[in-house]
Amino acid sequence: MAGLRLIDLAKPIFTLLPEVEVPFEKIPFDDKVVYTIFSALIYLFAQFPLAGVKKDAADATIKDPIYFLRGVFAAEPRTLLEFGIFPIVSSGLILQLLAGLKVIKVNFKLQRDRELFQTLTKVFSLLQYFLLTNIFIASGYYGVDLTWVHIFLLNVQLNGAGLFASLLTEVIDKGFGFTSGPMIINTIVIATNLVADTLGVNQISVDAEGNTEPQGALINLFQGFRAKHKTFLGGIVSAFDRDYLPNLSTMAIVLCIGIIVCYLQSFRLELPIRSTKARGMNNVYPVRLFHIGCLSITFSYVLLFSIHIVAFAAIVLVGKNNPSSLVCKVLGHYEMVNNILAVPTFPLSMLTPPRSLIGGILSAPLSFIVYPLFVLTTGVWFAYRWQAISGGSARDLALDFKEQGITLTGRREQNIAKELEKVIPSASTTGAGLLALLTIAGELLGLKGKAAGMVVGVAGGFSLLEIISMDYQQTGGDSALSGVLGTPTNF
Amino acid sequence: MSSTPPGGQRTLQKRRQAQTAKDKQAKQTPTSARTAGHGGSSNSILKIYTDEANGLRVDPLVVLFLAVGFIFSVVALHVISKVTGKLF
Amino acid sequence: MAGEKGSEKQLLDTPLEFIRDGNQFLKKCKKPDTKEYFKIIRAVGIGFIAVGLIGYAIKLIHIPIRYVIV
Repeated sequence: MAGLRLIDLAKPIFTLLPEVEVPFEKIPFDDKVVYTIFSALIYLFAQFPLAGVKKDAADATIKDPIYFLRGVFAAEPRTLLEFGIFPIVSSGLILQLLAGLKVIKVNFKLQRDRELFQTLTKVFSLLQYFLLTNIFIASGYYGVDLTWVHIFLLNVQLNGAGLFASLLTEVIDKGFGFTSGPMIINTIVIATNLVADTLGVNQISVDAEGNTEPQGALINLFQGFRAKHKTFLGGIVSAFDRDYLPNLSTMAIVLCIGIIVCYLQSFRLELPIRSTKARGMNNVYPVRLFHIGCLSITFSYVLLFSIHIVAFAAIVLVGKNNPSSLVCKVLGHYEMVNNILAVPTFPLSMLTPPRSLIGGILSAPLSFIVYPLFVLTTGVWFAYRWQAISGGSARDLALDFKEQGITLTGRREQNIAKELEKVIPSASTTGAGLLALLTIAGELLGLKGKAAGMVVGVAGGFSLLEIISMDYQQTGGDSALSGVLGTPTNF
Repeated sequence: MSSTPPGGQRTLQKRRQAQTAKDKQAKQTPTSARTAGHGGSSNSILKIYTDEANGLRVDPLVVLFLAVGFIFSVVALHVISKVTGKLF
Repeated sequence: MAGEKGSEKQLLDTPLEFIRDGNQFLKKCKKPDTKEYFKIIRAVGIGFIAVGLIGYAIKLIHIPIRYVIV
C-alpha cells in the first residue's frame, strides 16, 4: 500500500463539501415516498431556462452537440440542467468500476476509505460539471462574445444546479428516499418526458410567422385539424412525421420498446431452493435475465457521452469547427441542422445514431455498423465485469443463501457458488446484449436518444420497483398512502 | 506418495491449505461497498452515497429548501435582466 | 485445437460462444404467460403515466413563469 492512492486526493477537500446527514433511525415508508417525490419534482422544476442567455439559440454559432444523449441523462438543453445527471452517474459508475477492477485501491472494509471514496466521487462529479460548463461556454453554445459577467453568471448557475442535483440524489441515496437517487430521478424525468411528448399541451413556435404547435404528438394530431397554417391532410401527415418535435410514429416506437422491455423483464431462470432449517420448505429463487438492469446501457452511454464531449472540445476549441483544420480532418466537424442540432460529420458520425433511418443509410452507412458494435460490446463487457464486482455475483449470492439458511435443491452447500456461477454471468451478459440490441434497433430508427432513454427508464424502473415493494413489505404495509393509492402490485 | 494411508499428515496438510485459502479470501479487499457488507451499489442499482463522510453536515430538508431557493434566485436573475432591459 | 489458426479464429469464437450461451439461457428461462404479461404492462403503464403526469404538472408551472419573464 505504498505510494499515494487516488482516493487520498479527496482528503484536503474533505471538510469543505456539503454532506447530507444519515438518518438517525429508519425512515418510515410514507416519508420515503414524500422525500423521493419532492426531490424528483425539485429536479424537474430546476429544468428552468438559464438566465443571461437569449431564449432562442439563433445567435449561437454552435448548436446542441449531444442531442442524442440527453434522453438517458435527464438533461434539457439551455436550462439549468444542461448536463442533467451525467456527471453524477458517470463518476459514480466509472469510479466504482475502477475500484472493483482494482485499478483504484480502495479498501471498502474501512470506514475511512469508504468515506474518502464517496467524497472523491462527489468531487469528480462537480469537476465534470465545471469542465462541461466551460467547454460549452468557450465553444460559443451560449452565444459568441460573452462578457465576463455573463461567463461568471453562467458558471454560477450551471455549477450551482450541478451541486444541488448531486445533493438531491444524495438525499435519496442516504436512505431518505428509495435507494438510488440518480436512477429514481432519471426514471421520473423519463416518465415525465414521455407524457410531455405525447400529451404535452405547451405551445412551441415552429416557424418565423409565429405559428405554434403543441409539444405532445397526440395533442398535435387533434390541433392539426384546425390549425391555420396547415391543410387538413397536411396536418395529419405532419403529426406523424414532423422532425422538429416529437411525432406520433416515434412515440409509437418508444411505447413498443417499453412494452418489449416489460416482456423481457419477466424472463427469469427459476432455481429450485429449499430451506436447510425446516423440512419441506420448497421454493424457487429467480435469476432475472436483466440481472444487471439498465446499468449496462447507462455505461455504454456514459462512454458515448465522454467520447463525444472530448471530440466536441477538440473540434470546436482547437479546430474552431473549420473543416480545413487538422483536428477536423481527423475527427470530422459539426454541421448545424434545423437550427437546433449540431451533427458531427464522418469519423465522429460513426458513433452517432442517425437522425432518420433512410437518410442515415444513404449518408452514413458506417454508423449502422460502428455505433451498434460499440453499444453492444461495451454493454456486454460491462455486464460481465459488473456482475462480478457489484456484490450480486455467484459467490456473494451463495453467502446470502447460507445466511438465510437456504440451499439449491439437490446440491451440496459447497457447490452452490459453482452452480450459480454457471447461471449468473450468462444471465447478465445475455440480458445486457438484448437490452443493447433493443436500444440499437430503436436508435437506428431515428429516435434521437428517446429509445435509449425509454430502455433505461423502464428497466431501471423495474429494479427500483423491486426494492420499493420489498421496503413496502418490510414495513408490514401499514402505510397511510396505501389506503389512498391502493395496494401496489407485487412482482 | 500414493501409498500414504488415509488420515494423518495428508489430512493435516489439506486442512492447512483450506485454512490459508480461507485467510486469503478474508484478507482480499472487497470489490465494492456491498461486497464488504455496507450497502452501496448492487447488481442492478447504482448507489453512490452510503456513508456519512466528514463534511459540512446539512439536513435533507435544508437541501430541498435551498434547492428551491436556488431556482428562485435564477428566476430573480431573469426578472432583473428583464427590468434593466439588457443582458447585464 | 485451434492452435495454428490462432487469433482470427478466437476472435470469431468469442461472440459465437456468447450467442450460444445466451440462447441456451433464454431457452431455460421461464417466460411470462399472457395474463401475467398484461398485468405487468398495465401496472407499469399506470405507474409511468401517473408519475409522468405529476412531473408534467410541475413543468406546466414553468410556462406562465417563462411567459412573464422572457
